[in-house]
Amino acid sequence: MDIFNGLLLGFSTATTFGNFLYCFLGVLLGTAVGVLPGLGPIATISMLLPFTFGLPVDTALIMLAGIFYGSQYGGSTTAILMNLPGEASSVVTTLDGHEMAKQGKAGRALAAAAIGSFFAGTVGTLFIAVSAPLLASLALTFGPAEYFSLIVLGLITSMVLASGSLLTAFGMALFGVMLGMIGTDVNSGAARFTFGTPNLLDGLDFVVVATGVFGLGDVIANLENEKSRSAGLAQVSSLFPTREDWKRMAAPILRGTGIGVLLGVLPGAGVLLASFSAYALEKKVSRHSAEFGKGAIEGVAAPEAANNAAAQTCFIPMLTLGLPGTATMALMIGALVVQGVQPGPEILTQQPALFWGLVVSMWLGNLMLLFLNLPLVGVWAKLISVPYHYLFPMISVFVAIGVYSINNSVFDVYMMAVFGVLGYFFKKVGAEPAPLILAMILGPMAEEYLRRALLISHGDASVFFTSPLSLGTLIVAALLLLSIVSPRFRKVREEGLQEAD
Amino acid sequence: MRIGQDSILGLFFAVTGCIALWISVQYPFGTAGRMGPGYFPVIISSLLVLTGIGVLVRSIAASGDAFPEINWKALIMVPAAVVVFGLAIEPLGFLPAVLLLLVLSAATSIKFKLDWKAAVGALVFAGLCTVLFIQLIGLPMPVLGTWLQ
Repeated sequence: MDIFNGLLLGFSTATTFGNFLYCFLGVLLGTAVGVLPGLGPIATISMLLPFTFGLPVDTALIMLAGIFYGSQYGGSTTAILMNLPGEASSVVTTLDGHEMAKQGKAGRALAAAAIGSFFAGTVGTLFIAVSAPLLASLALTFGPAEYFSLIVLGLITSMVLASGSLLTAFGMALFGVMLGMIGTDVNSGAARFTFGTPNLLDGLDFVVVATGVFGLGDVIANLENEKSRSAGLAQVSSLFPTREDWKRMAAPILRGTGIGVLLGVLPGAGVLLASFSAYALEKKVSRHSAEFGKGAIEGVAAPEAANNAAAQTCFIPMLTLGLPGTATMALMIGALVVQGVQPGPEILTQQPALFWGLVVSMWLGNLMLLFLNLPLVGVWAKLISVPYHYLFPMISVFVAIGVYSINNSVFDVYMMAVFGVLGYFFKKVGAEPAPLILAMILGPMAEEYLRRALLISHGDASVFFTSPLSLGTLIVAALLLLSIVSPRFRKVREEGLQEAD
Repeated sequence: MRIGQDSILGLFFAVTGCIALWISVQYPFGTAGRMGPGYFPVIISSLLVLTGIGVLVRSIAASGDAFPEINWKALIMVPAAVVVFGLAIEPLGFLPAVLLLLVLSAATSIKFKLDWKAAVGALVFAGLCTVLFIQLIGLPMPVLGTWLQ
């Protein structure tokens, strides 16, 4: 199927009344939860997951995607108005966005973010439409060795990008792989690490772990600084960018989009790297570089464009290879598996309506965000200022219902409580949980591909170096690891990640 | 030795790794060409033990950040409230379980007061949740559990 026919099919899928409605609902709910301080996309998706149960697969996926970019958009609103980033990738937005808000230009900052995001979303969606079919047909030629190397690259990238030391991130990834191995071994049927309980035979549900670590763990951690929590909410002024603003943000949006589209595809890098790189680039090339950090509109438009472009294109490895590039995409895979869909190269040929419907609905969702969020910004501002002691009991209720509803299993609820405690513990010892979450999904895949690759080669590990693609991927991974040892890159990484803390 | 973040984390990795390694060596290991169910777990848990030791060594060699103070109240109350929800949902049903979780977790906050306003608010919220999740979304959960019917 060529792109044109694909897009036509996508339009007819995405614009059925039900799908359109759920796309809208997803975007709306995602934004509403995403603007709440301290709730990033992972917590938002896992809280809203039960809303997608009982829906047909394509509708559910469209709604989940809507929730995802809605929550990202909501996170930027909170970052600009309140200086509270919901997740690491909106940290750069706070740098200039909140400065602008303090100068009474909050509306223009929000508009810059929205316009940048919409443009980037459009380009990102087109990029998916063009490149995903190509990549999927290429992926059909991938053997287990190539898949294994790609997984290794994804894990290493996520470790390099985690804040804190590399050794800590490595340990977190290993712990994640261990968690992923709990349950019945697909190959031999042996029950591994189940501690004799039948509840663990199917493995630990990924959504349970993510919800515990990110949802409940954050609630516990946020209750700590209750006394010192100050809610300085900026007033929203005129939403219309001036002619000067348009001129200043056009080129940064273009550059940010380019960076985001490319980096979003890289396994493990995702949205975070995109927004940081876009900001760093603008700071270098801008004629107004002295204004950066003091409320430069370029410093809002570029990272927001990059952020949203990457948020679209990070669907590419997930949809075409079945490999999640980020923790959020890992959660999306978890949600799809609940729906009975296994993402991979076959999804395009076997369920074209699902794929193209998603692509088109992404663009529609971005359009909705543009027209929905700017007029509704007053509502979002009200939501942000809800005091935390009203908010967190509701969050606890939603995550508990969400987790229970996956399998109607009380055991899952208890496990979520355990992982809430662990999530708090990781925060206390300064270990970022993102590599753990990604490794939990990628670990068992890595084992399976390693096993197959070595079975074919009769135990000869050189297969990973004889296939050019696998070798290339491993070289990129090794370069990434080496770069972190080099003092120059180390300094950049520490500075970048420091801003994220 | 001062107890820092790294000593605790290193200990956590090392101990978890040791337990996992002890369990994994009981599974058939196999060969590289024919990996048994124990092959990958043994490698991963050994690496985890080594990483744990590495983090411990680092904590002794360099003075890292001290272990921050722990908010025991939140750490115990919030997960406990979730566990109560799990205990209550089948015998008592959805509505009472939501109500219990709401009130118990809210009680963690220093700003919590149990007055009639809070009670009405909790009731209204639990009622809204019931309408939303059971009537509208249709999750298969009883509003009132077996004990209350």
